[in-house]
This record gives sequence, C-alpha cells and structure tokens, in this order.
Amino acid sequence: MLTQAELVGLLAAVAKGDAAAFERLYGATRAKLYGVLLRILGRPELADEVMQETYLKVWKMADKFNPAVASPITWMVAIARNRAIDIVRKKAEISIEDEPDAMGVAADTPPPLARREMTEELKRLLACLGKLDPEKQRIVLLAYYSGWSRDQLAKKLDIPVNTIKTWLRRSLIEIRECMGT
Amino acid sequence: MFDEEQDTLAAEYVLGTLSADERGHAEALLSFDPSFEAAVRQWERRLGELNVMVEAVEPPAEVWERVKKEIAPLAVPVAEVPDILGEPPLAAAPAIDALPPRPESELPPAAAPAPDEAVRALFTELSAAPPARAAPSLARGADVIYLASRAQRWQRAAIGLGAIAALLAIFVAVSQIAPDVLPGSLRPAGGAMRADGTGRLQQDRLVAVLQQQPTAPAFLLTLDTQRRTLFVRRVSAMPEANHSYELWLISSRFPAPRSLGLVGNDEFTQRAIPGNYDIDTLRGALYAVSLEPTGGSPSGTPSGPVLFTGKAVEALPASPLNPART
Repeated sequence: MLTQAELVGLLAAVAKGDAAAFERLYGATRAKLYGVLLRILGRPELADEVMQETYLKVWKMADKFNPAVASPITWMVAIARNRAIDIVRKKAEISIEDEPDAMGVAADTPPPLARREMTEELKRLLACLGKLDPEKQRIVLLAYYSGWSRDQLAKKLDIPVNTIKTWLRRSLIEIRECMGT
Repeated sequence: MFDEEQDTLAAEYVLGTLSADERGHAEALLSFDPSFEAAVRQWERRLGELNVMVEAVEPPAEVWERVKKEIAPLAVPVAEVPDILGEPPLAAAPAIDALPPRPESELPPAAAPAPDEAVRALFTELSAAPPARAAPSLARGADVIYLASRAQRWQRAAIGLGAIAALLAIFVAVSQIAPDVLPGSLRPAGGAMRADGTGRLQQDRLVAVLQQQPTAPAFLLTLDTQRRTLFVRRVSAMPEANHSYELWLISSRFPAPRSLGLVGNDEFTQRAIPGNYDIDTLRGALYAVSLEPTGGSPSGTPSGPVLFTGKAVEALPASPLNPART
C-alpha cells in the first residue's frame, strides 16, 4: 500500500510529465475514485466517462496540487465528485431518458473500509457528525455520498425543502465550529 | 472578515447540495475570489475524509487504456524523467484501497475501532444499499425529481425570457418610435439605427440578466455586437455610497476576468465594448458585477464582492425584424 508521502511524490512527478508515475498513481487510487463516482452517478458508463475526465484533469493540474492544503486522495476525490455532481445536476435539467439499465457492478462490493483506514482526521469529523441530531447526520452523509441536491434530499426523505435548507445550514455551521479549523 | 453567507455557499458546494444555477455561481466565484476559494479548500479538507468510508470498486480496464491514450502525446519521454521513488511501475503497485485480503474482510464487525456508534450505524445503513442493488428504485425516484425540477426550471426560464423579451421589446420599440423618451446617450444617433437598412440591428444583440436571485434581476446588460456597444440598464440594484459597480467578462479563454468598465449611477449606461473580443467570446462568457471602491477595482481584477452574475442569450432569433421599415 502506498503511503500519503509516496502519493505526494507521485503527484510531483506527474506534474513534470512522468507517465510512469501517473500509471502508479492511477493504480493506487482508481478503485477509490471509481467507488465514489459509482455511488453518485449510479451508472457504470457514466462513471467510466468521469473517471477518464478526472484523471486527465489530475494529469493536467498536478502542478496545482498543494500538499499543505489537501491530501492527494481528498484532492483527487474532490475533482471527481465535482465533475460527477455537475453532470448529475445538468442531467436533471436536460434529460428524462435515464432509466438506467441493470447495473453491471459486481454484487460482492466490499464492506466500507472504515475498520482499516480510520485516519485521525476522519475520527474527528465523525465525532463532530455524531453530535448532530440523527436526522441531520443522515442528510449530510446522504448528500456527500450520493451527491443529492437539496431538492432531491427533500423528495427522497419527504421533508420540505426549506427544512432541508435550514438543517444543512445549521449542520454545516455546527461541523465547522466543532472541528475548529 | 468572515462571511457566513459565503462560507455556507462554499460548504454546500463541497457537500454537493447546490442546484445547477447555484453551482454555476459558486464556480464563477471560485475562479476569481481567493477568499471563496480558500473557504472551499477548507471545506474539502473538513469533509473530504468521508471518502475513506466509500467502498473501493475496481473500474474496467478500458478506462486506463483511454486515459493512457490521451496523455501519451503529452508525456515526457521516460529517459528524461528521474525515477524519484526508485520503485517498479504500475503492475506491482497495489491499489491504495484495494479490497482487503479475504481473511481480513471476514473479521467480525465487532473488531472495528468504531469512533461513534451512531455514525457507524448510519453508514452501515447507507452502505447496505450499494448502487448495484438500489439503482432501479432510486432511478425512478430520480426521474420524478428530474421532471419536477425540469418543469420548474422551464417555468422559471419562461418567466426570465419573458421579462427579457418584454424589456427588450420596450427598448426597441421606444428607440424606434419615440427616441426622445430615451436618455440622450441611448437615442439612435442621427437615425443610424434605422439607416443601415439591413434589419440586422436586433440580430446582433446579446442580452444578459445579472442577478443574485432568479426572481430579482439587478441589471440588464445588452451587447450590440455589431456596433460594439454595451448598454446596462439598472433594474433593481441601488447605487451604493462610496462604491462603484464594475462590470466583468469572465471567459474560459482568459485566465482572469476582464473589466468592461464601470456601471454609471444613472438608469442607463452606454459605452463602447472595450477590448477586441470576438462574438463567440462574448456569447460564451459569464458576466458579473462586483462592488468596488469608487472609480473601480484598483487591481484590474475584481477586488470586492461579486454581487451579480449572468450569461448572455441571443436577444432575438436570427431573422430580420424591423416593423419600422416595411
């Protein structure tokens, strides 16, 4: 398993156009990014497309990566999620033909990695999330993992959208205050 | 100074709960407001660790084949690159979050160092419905939402376009029928608007409504690309003491916003479009108004808050329309 420092080193090499380093970076991060994308996009063919876009962007923007501000994996996940959410939002505007075909994803998806990979930062975040009312925890996590908008959260949880808006706002303020930074 | 409103926007942008319009606004801010960018980065750091709990899924091999093909022309030849880590390339590198070896994954959950039972239980609930199994029902729910939001959007767009059309129609009608009603600067000079006789006047117009809320346009921007003139009509924005409104063009073709000059305190502002932007740039750009010190931004890029943004749309279909001339 690659350490964070090794990933930072790989990104620095990628910034100089090192294709071999890029291949190693891809190998080390692909399954995580694909898992994130699949959850938000739902359809493998869309996830494939966004994977491709994400890694091209990583290749082009590796010189912008700042290890003082983000870890390599959170930086890459942020790029992937942003693109995925943009697509989901735009689809909501222009498309109604989206009855996805049966998902081609392996049924034996592994369990969450929480046990093995619980970082200090994650523990802190979870402790703060744990202080929120259960309903608010739920909307924050559903939003993050599924990429749902306020409207979607309202529809799927059958809660008025204004309530969702207020809850999100309060929850985010509480998280900010609890985490301190 | 800490801006609660802006920090919430940054947080929701990172969380992913904004609508398409709001995301567009956030992305515009992100492109030139360093304090907003810092807020976004901080939220990415706060929330980003949640990715640790997402299950890894192996992507199809074709994805890498396609990425490799695209970057091949850009890569530096191998010989020139020092092998920083001195390790063998990809094949040997295990995925960082690859599936744990079987024996480990079969450990009972009780072995987990759970930081917080409630959150863990919630996450278990969330992961109990991975996309593979949940897709059909979720998708149907999603369709309903797509339709609803689409209907709303169209409705809103219709209202917006209606408003633009009405204002534009008034402007065109007034300028042709009763030019004296318009402020001096907007009157057709020596009948020039009519004299060209081509009927092209209206076709070369782009209109952007600059606003914060969909229901409250602040400025109406009209670009006459043929005469290279812009008109700004103040709709609801009020003049601010000791400040000027400055108009910006934001285009992916330029690394930073380009100033289109100050918006005057009168109801109408007319000026030549500065710079040499071609029609495609003007058509594709995002327009924004920021609040600046009197006289405009001292730095050449927005220094104050960006209050209003909007995209230009073609004012009228591309067919001659000149009732005054037939």
